[in-house]
Amino acid sequence: MIPLSLPAISDAERPFVARLRSLAAIDRGEHDALLIDEDEVGGSYAAADGLFAIDGVPVAQLDGDVVLVQPRSGRVERLLRAGSRHNTLLVTERCDQLCVMCSQPPKKTHVDRFDYFEQACLLAEPESLIGISGGEPTLYKERLLSMVERVLTDRPDVQFHILTNAQHFDDDDIHRLRQPLYRRVSWGIPLYASNASLHDEIVGKRGACLRLFESFAILLASAARVELRTVLLKSNANELPALAQFIFGKLRFIEVWSLMQLENTGFAKGRWRDLRYNHRSSFEPIAQALDLMNLNGVAAQLFNFPRCSVPPPYRQLAVASISDWKRKYAPACATCREQELCTGFFEWHPSNEAEAEVTPI
Amino acid sequence: MRITPLRLREHPLVGTLCVNDTGRFFAASPMFVERLASDDLAVEDEQFLEREGHRVCVDDRFARLTHLYALSERVVQPATLDYLILVPTLRCNLSCSYCQVSRAGIRQKGFDWTEDTLSAVLRQLDKLPGNRIKIEFQGGEPTLRPDLIRAVIERCERFAERQFVICTNLQVLTDEILAIFDRPDVFISTSLDGSAQTHAQNRTADTATTDCFFANLKRVIERYPAGKVSALPTIDPESPPDIDALIDSYAALGLDSIFLRPINFQGFARKRHSGSREQGEAWRDYYESAVRRIIQRNWRDKSRILEETYFSICLRRIFHPGAERHVDLRNPNPMGIDYIVVDHDGAVYPTDEARMLARSGIVDLSIGDIATGWNSPARATLNRCSTNQFDPACQRCAYQPFCGRDVVDDIARYGRIDLPRTETEFCRRHLRIFDFIFELIYSDDSAVRYSLARWLRLPATPERFGVTHQ
Repeated sequence: MIPLSLPAISDAERPFVARLRSLAAIDRGEHDALLIDEDEVGGSYAAADGLFAIDGVPVAQLDGDVVLVQPRSGRVERLLRAGSRHNTLLVTERCDQLCVMCSQPPKKTHVDRFDYFEQACLLAEPESLIGISGGEPTLYKERLLSMVERVLTDRPDVQFHILTNAQHFDDDDIHRLRQPLYRRVSWGIPLYASNASLHDEIVGKRGACLRLFESFAILLASAARVELRTVLLKSNANELPALAQFIFGKLRFIEVWSLMQLENTGFAKGRWRDLRYNHRSSFEPIAQALDLMNLNGVAAQLFNFPRCSVPPPYRQLAVASISDWKRKYAPACATCREQELCTGFFEWHPSNEAEAEVTPI
Repeated sequence: MRITPLRLREHPLVGTLCVNDTGRFFAASPMFVERLASDDLAVEDEQFLEREGHRVCVDDRFARLTHLYALSERVVQPATLDYLILVPTLRCNLSCSYCQVSRAGIRQKGFDWTEDTLSAVLRQLDKLPGNRIKIEFQGGEPTLRPDLIRAVIERCERFAERQFVICTNLQVLTDEILAIFDRPDVFISTSLDGSAQTHAQNRTADTATTDCFFANLKRVIERYPAGKVSALPTIDPESPPDIDALIDSYAALGLDSIFLRPINFQGFARKRHSGSREQGEAWRDYYESAVRRIIQRNWRDKSRILEETYFSICLRRIFHPGAERHVDLRNPNPMGIDYIVVDHDGAVYPTDEARMLARSGIVDLSIGDIATGWNSPARATLNRCSTNQFDPACQRCAYQPFCGRDVVDDIARYGRIDLPRTETEFCRRHLRIFDFIFELIYSDDSAVRYSLARWLRLPATPERFGVTHQ
């Protein structure tokens, strides 16, 4: 697992954002922290806001990372790791839904770190796609949208992918979201069933589904880009064909539908047996749903499905979705011809299950 | 208020086909049609219509907008010029019986681009806004002027995505021509009418010329990866070749796509093949037998997928709105916008057929020329009618969402564009092909479903392609 937070010490008074520069002969920007000393497991940096030393990772692996230095807690957070396609900013831990399988159970308190995130995004590598997640980011919609707009204005090469439950869009947003710069934003929105009561039950909020459809109308009127997401559960597996029918009939404007296998963390960890649908034993409802989507010209993909667990015709849809920093492979995967293309397992996936499941291709 | 925007068509094998104006469809029983007509729908009917998106409550914004979105998918409006058909010369080294464009003799003067025409073409290329370009070199025989082909291709280096198709009879293959073909962005399109005998009869006449063509065709197929070389047959509907012989000759050469085109009512063909004005039942029967034969072959030998090109285009238009950009079947079908034809004299035509009509002296449908532009009153006139959206017959037709409009075809056949749609060959041809496709969509035959799925480029074969409501 790649550590996203590292121990550090700093003489600065306040937290600050800096881009780590381990190599010489690079034009130094205002927020660049230059390496001044190093050993095998860390290095010391000098930035305009103060000195700091990072421990635990050789400096070569940190070069270009945009970090948040937090002197008081003695940590640096790697907000945007250089060269990674999986950088996600967690903008809040509050949420107004309580999904039965939540991988990131919400907290009551909110710490506003938007200003740091904005600075970090402005320092992102060229052509970055930055993920925004939570909690529910749109609980702080005004802060979120103004940050996104400022970054997109200053950085025409940057794109955002924002996960949201879409419970907080309203008519006043249409004009705003229609701005051309929002062509560089895609919204990842979960819909767990076309049956409103089942969706509401899964997200733990009555009326959520109806509110979601209202937001879909707003997003459609805004020409917003939407990735629709469905987590596969025991409770919705057999409803997938109906959901697919609903999607290709009524949500044709989405860019892609992602069906996601469950992640063994957060609430799902304790409820694993009750929630997890074993797609190896019956792929049928998934196949039916994928057939309907493909037939009717709506793109579909499978997230968190190891390729060997998917019947061959659908394998091309199983993409390497698990973020690099939390991905692992079973020992048997070493001989697999498709490991490069495969999503693997979450770091916290039960190892005994992973080993039992793998059948190298 | 609720609307139920369904059009109905009696289909001899499927029942009543109900298609809404976004192109979603189901097959219905006579009882349902009775209930619908007498406004006596059962609760189950209402639920079915709602669920399948055939009934829209217009006061519900979500339902209204999603319906409008689906409608808009059926009327994609092209905006950027990124496809040019270029005719650097009208001269040709063959004289085919049905030549579409009234070719000029190999030694005739004044049928090639002048220096001025070439530089006007290059200037236009420089002006194109996008980063994508497709150029088709037509003729005449374009390889008679490799210098002009090269000049155009070299000028296109700036486009990130580029594709050049050289439509050639492959009679002459010099090192100079092969060097052009060797480019990975160049594709070869040729004519192959079937067996050597059929091909000779229609095109190459003597044995030496025929042998030379087949030798060159084999040579390029062996030299390049699959997909580089494609071929089209032109078929005389009055004496079509044996279906299996035709498919065999394509399959043997590794050519998987067969575009079964009857002779077009254009060019010299108009004089020599007067029977080609209407296609007739015989042709349609021949066509459908050929598609069925291809289905059987695909089922027997799963190692390769053969397809009839136009069938696949129509099939994809049913299921994948907006995904198809075939300029002979789309709606609206604006002319002189996203693609143009530049003739040997620099004249700009909206389509290749329009060029042929002018060339055979029937009507001048040029819309401008490459030096001075083509944003002309002639183009505007053509485009006023270039849609099926407002045609009274089309508005009642179940197949309107999938169909297109081709005013040049109407002018070619009838000299006018205001005939009732149902009296035109374009309409008859497409009613028949869509009827045929829906027959196959509702077929229980595994072999049929297998081919349909492959032609739709699906990873697996769905259990069913169409919904039925009793």
